Amino acid sequence: MNSQDQAAPLLSVRDLRVNFRLDKHTNFEALKGVSFDIPREKTIALVGESGSGKSVSSLAILGLLPKENATVDARSQIIYGGRDLLKLPGDEMRRLRGKEISMIFQDPMSSLNPVLSIGNQLSEILMLHMGLNARQAKDRSIALLEEVGLPEPSRRINAYPFQLSGGQQQRVMIAMAMACEPKLLIADEPTTALDVTIQKQIIDLVDALRKKHGMAVLWISHDLAVVGEIADRVIVMRHGEIREEGPTRQIFEAAQDRYTQALIQCRPPLDHRPKRLAVIDDFMSGADIIVDPTQAKRGLSANDEIVLEVKNLNKEFVSREGLFGKRVMRAVKDVSFSLPKGKTVGLVGESGSGKTTVGLTIMRLHQASSGEVLFKGQDLLKMSKKEQMPFKRRIQIIFQNPYASLNPRFVVGDILMEPMRIHGIGENEAEREKLARQLLDRVGMSALTFRKYPHEFSGGQRQRVAVARALSMKPDVLICDESVSALDVSVQAQVLNMLQDLQEEFQMSYIFISHDLAVVKYISDQVIVMNQGEVVEIADSDEIYRNPQHPYTQKLLGSIPRGWHAH
Amino acid sequence: MSSFILRRLWQMIPTMLGVVLLVFFLFSFVGGDPAYLLAGKISNKEQIENIRTQLGINQPYYVQLWIFIKQILTGDFGVSWATNEPVSHIIATRIGPSLTVLIPIMIIEAVLAVLVALGVAYVRGSLTDRAIMVICTVAMSVSLLVYIIIVGQYVLAYQFGWFPVQGWGESFSENLFHYSLLPILLGVAVGIAPNTRLYRTFILDEINQDYVRTARAKGLSEHKVMLKHVLRNALIPIITNLMIYLPSLLIGHFLIERFFSIPGIGREVILAVERSDFPVIKAITVYVAAATMLSNLAADLLYKAVDPRVQLK
Amino acid sequence: MTAPQYQASPGLWTLAWRRLIADRLAMISLVVVMAFFALMVASGTGLIAAKWADEVAVGYAPPSLFGTPATAVKNATSVSTTEPAENLYPGTVKDPLADEIAELKVQLGAQPGGGAKSSVGAGSTPLNDEIDYKDLDLGDLKVVDPIGAELAEILATTTAAVEKPRVDSLPFGADKWGHDVILKVIKGSETSIFVGLAAALVATIIGTILGAVSGYYGGWIDDFLNWFYSIFTAIPYLLLILAIAAVLNQKGVTTIVMILGLTGWTGVYRLVRAEYIKHSTREYVQAADAIGASNMRRMFIHIFPNVSHISLVQLSVHTVGFIKSEVILSFLGFGVPVDKVSWGSMLGEAQNELILGYWWQLAAATIAMAILVTAFSMFTDALRDALDPKIK
Repeated sequence: MNSQDQAAPLLSVRDLRVNFRLDKHTNFEALKGVSFDIPREKTIALVGESGSGKSVSSLAILGLLPKENATVDARSQIIYGGRDLLKLPGDEMRRLRGKEISMIFQDPMSSLNPVLSIGNQLSEILMLHMGLNARQAKDRSIALLEEVGLPEPSRRINAYPFQLSGGQQQRVMIAMAMACEPKLLIADEPTTALDVTIQKQIIDLVDALRKKHGMAVLWISHDLAVVGEIADRVIVMRHGEIREEGPTRQIFEAAQDRYTQALIQCRPPLDHRPKRLAVIDDFMSGADIIVDPTQAKRGLSANDEIVLEVKNLNKEFVSREGLFGKRVMRAVKDVSFSLPKGKTVGLVGESGSGKTTVGLTIMRLHQASSGEVLFKGQDLLKMSKKEQMPFKRRIQIIFQNPYASLNPRFVVGDILMEPMRIHGIGENEAEREKLARQLLDRVGMSALTFRKYPHEFSGGQRQRVAVARALSMKPDVLICDESVSALDVSVQAQVLNMLQDLQEEFQMSYIFISHDLAVVKYISDQVIVMNQGEVVEIADSDEIYRNPQHPYTQKLLGSIPRGWHAH
Repeated sequence: MSSFILRRLWQMIPTMLGVVLLVFFLFSFVGGDPAYLLAGKISNKEQIENIRTQLGINQPYYVQLWIFIKQILTGDFGVSWATNEPVSHIIATRIGPSLTVLIPIMIIEAVLAVLVALGVAYVRGSLTDRAIMVICTVAMSVSLLVYIIIVGQYVLAYQFGWFPVQGWGESFSENLFHYSLLPILLGVAVGIAPNTRLYRTFILDEINQDYVRTARAKGLSEHKVMLKHVLRNALIPIITNLMIYLPSLLIGHFLIERFFSIPGIGREVILAVERSDFPVIKAITVYVAAATMLSNLAADLLYKAVDPRVQLK
Repeated sequence: MTAPQYQASPGLWTLAWRRLIADRLAMISLVVVMAFFALMVASGTGLIAAKWADEVAVGYAPPSLFGTPATAVKNATSVSTTEPAENLYPGTVKDPLADEIAELKVQLGAQPGGGAKSSVGAGSTPLNDEIDYKDLDLGDLKVVDPIGAELAEILATTTAAVEKPRVDSLPFGADKWGHDVILKVIKGSETSIFVGLAAALVATIIGTILGAVSGYYGGWIDDFLNWFYSIFTAIPYLLLILAIAAVLNQKGVTTIVMILGLTGWTGVYRLVRAEYIKHSTREYVQAADAIGASNMRRMFIHIFPNVSHISLVQLSVHTVGFIKSEVILSFLGFGVPVDKVSWGSMLGEAQNELILGYWWQLAAATIAMAILVTAFSMFTDALRDALDPKIK
């Protein structure tokens, strides 16, 4: 096979059509005739939003689609080494899996078997495909762990997955995938569950291994910026079809397809700040005007009126341990900042930095261990539940997961009118209903959705309902806890635009909590960088990105994927 | 490890105390005056007063409670009201026959149920899977009683004469290989349906996990995926389930013991309830509760053996 | 005020109901269960089976529907009495309940009702004590009464000639006293289903309330209720029931409902508590806290609708379980009182009849029970799938 023409692609997907049977009567066409090639020793990126069919493509190549409800069309072909993988008998396909084509997945924690040691899981594949005995497999496993950069591999080989960090787990997955020196590595969103600094390390590792071992990589991601860093070619997918395919440079600099252009423009840029982010509809409508060139100015000024002041906030979590013992985890350590009227303070940090806990503690959804939260001079933390009641409506919160933050048993109308009833807003039900419909209109939802249940809506629509619920109390402060993180890029831009419009209209102050540095930089006047419960740096957002002081901030900023420009 | 066991034993004290209080409350407040029960119909006032004094019911409640606790700690519950046999002797001699029948039932049942469950989980959604599940549901509904009366004793032993109808001997091997065969067969037949269903759900929970996809992506064969990766994880809830139900099995097969005249704990409970033999019931309840707690502890320790994530701190 | 142009969407309950309707097996099961419930109500209100206690046939009249000739049975009787059945169940061939009855009399002692009305000496005709006419709630007692006097004789000779015209066979056969078995099964269903349903309601309500409070508030309330829970689960369920039955020593439908209900709440408690722990940290509940909804409002208006399907499924699961428990208890003689008939008490009688070759009472009770419980279990499974489509 190696003697064949090197110019021939390693793997060709031809007219791939996959159908999922959802129930007796409903079918979902996940792939509608997709064709692409994977050349040898190159990195090909499949990019798309949720439901685009990118993961289905990769599972189809390995023959791992769920047998119960997925059917591949008879016309489809996946040619590898002169053979059609879709027609290959089961045992021959198994001989290819893990040996010539291997795969790493999004969530390394759940993708590793929790009750087997990592050495066991690595040896297994070596003994299966390479014919090694247990002794040889162990030695080879240690060498592989060494190669993927796991510290102390000869000791760690007996560790179980739960004893490793997320980044280390993904390294083990990569070692497993590399064990038999495959010709093709399929990486399905391998960094999405990881912190940004770890993401950078994993991207670099996979690229280095690809170069060293001369394999091809099929990198699947929702994030164009990530694949721009390493891909040779990019394939953009949407709704089970390929929208555009080309060399990475061409995709980033001269995208032909409107959807591709939209994907690139929807992400908040790091080097400037358009007043309004481009949204997908601008592009798909086919109109000529694409991007509004107006720029916004952000930053604090000395005469801002302070709405909320947080002083020396501490939060400890105590867990019972042993007979009488307890363990104290300090989630938030001495956090202080102030929030001016009509401005946005961004809280940024990696997982475990305590940023979300700060938000919840200000809301008193967690009880603070010590410190003060002064709302217009009054300490919220010292109030009794009853005293706090009139203040509750002044500070509201939008959560991360739009699927969990709306009560599935309430219709939209009830969700919006409940806070008004509790706080006595509106004279009577009729007036509250009128207000609720106005709110729906204000967040860009049809007032006709008033009697619908949340499960009928998409993530973006649910997040709009959550915003409308907060607005129903006309709050002074809105805490956005990773509020756009779970949304697709194109929807994210719409929600960010809406939040900015609302801030301008109602002069609300935002505390914007996110792990996404680009989003925080875009929407904030001031940015607070947190690490392990502590504030490491506070500065105006442009300043902090231009001139980070603290080494941690520098590391964080250095890890932001910058797409094509990084090359 | 040893500190874990010590701590768990320490934590059992309040629960055990609760059990003692519950039993004491039941037998001293809810139940009527046991003196009337004991004296029977030919009772006069004097006799009843005598019995009350004998039983210590005339004492204040805290004294009675203290007597009860002392009984539990020393294992001396006095004698059975019905037979005058010492309660401690009853318990000691009835455990053996119970275990002779129960342990084989449990082992055979668990192994068979896991195998069948693995099989049907492997072909999940197929006609075979659905058929076996329907059979299990039907089998669970045809109650234990009917199995024993019709299928078991009447047909197999009485009509066909394949097994002894009932009885119990002196030697262990005779008991196990002669008298226990049919009870074990029936016990397995009764228990296998619900367990198969339960284990199947445990296995299906695991089959959809990401790590199974990883195992397939490595090129492992399906039966290796099932036996090594899936089963290893599904064993965790299966073992817990087995351990937790171990003590209730001691009681749970009382019907088998009763029908086959096996002199075990379960049959003793039925007899004691029929005769209102309070000391026996009290003793068995308290000791079975203690056994339950200890086997929960054993389940935790086993848990550690199969699941490395469990940390016994 | 309602604007007609609103697009109402089906709620989760509606969607679950639609999934359930689409499941043909579930619908068949539901029809069967409903038929049994209808039977229970009809029997309870006296519409049908009110005259089940009439002795319309000769003792052990065979089921003509299955073609067993009356003579064959008589032969079988004479044959079987010579077989070693007496070793198996010593002294029970003629009157299988004699021992129990005698014992019961002792235990019941001064309880009112009992043998008060009996014109015959206690002990010689246990049936007069068994059937407490007063409690039977039958409209036409007077019609039945005259036969009562003859009972003693009939029983004493078991299959002796009858003075009153009695049929030799019935479609489904008769029991020892000549009661029509099919009517007896219907009456037995009434008791068994009522006990199962009522006890399940008690257990589910207790379990749900305690579980909700425990899971929602956590802290010392949770610790306390958990302690309570651990006590109840430390004692194996059946042992606990038997112990309580021994202590109470008074039989009755209410007693058995309370025994089963008060001991059976632990399973519901554990599940509901776990759901409340899970839900109380969910974002929609935090959002409700943020808008100022009170604890009660969060517990019952926000969370409860989201966990109520657990309670509903548990109600269904426990009804099946308690029907089985009632059967076992009554079979052993610790369940319903002797004047009530239930599936369990029928099985209790039938175990001795089987040795004599009279299989029909056993078959009738078993088949009725198997059909209901199978249908109910299948419906429960379908209900669980429909309410929570994630679980297979």
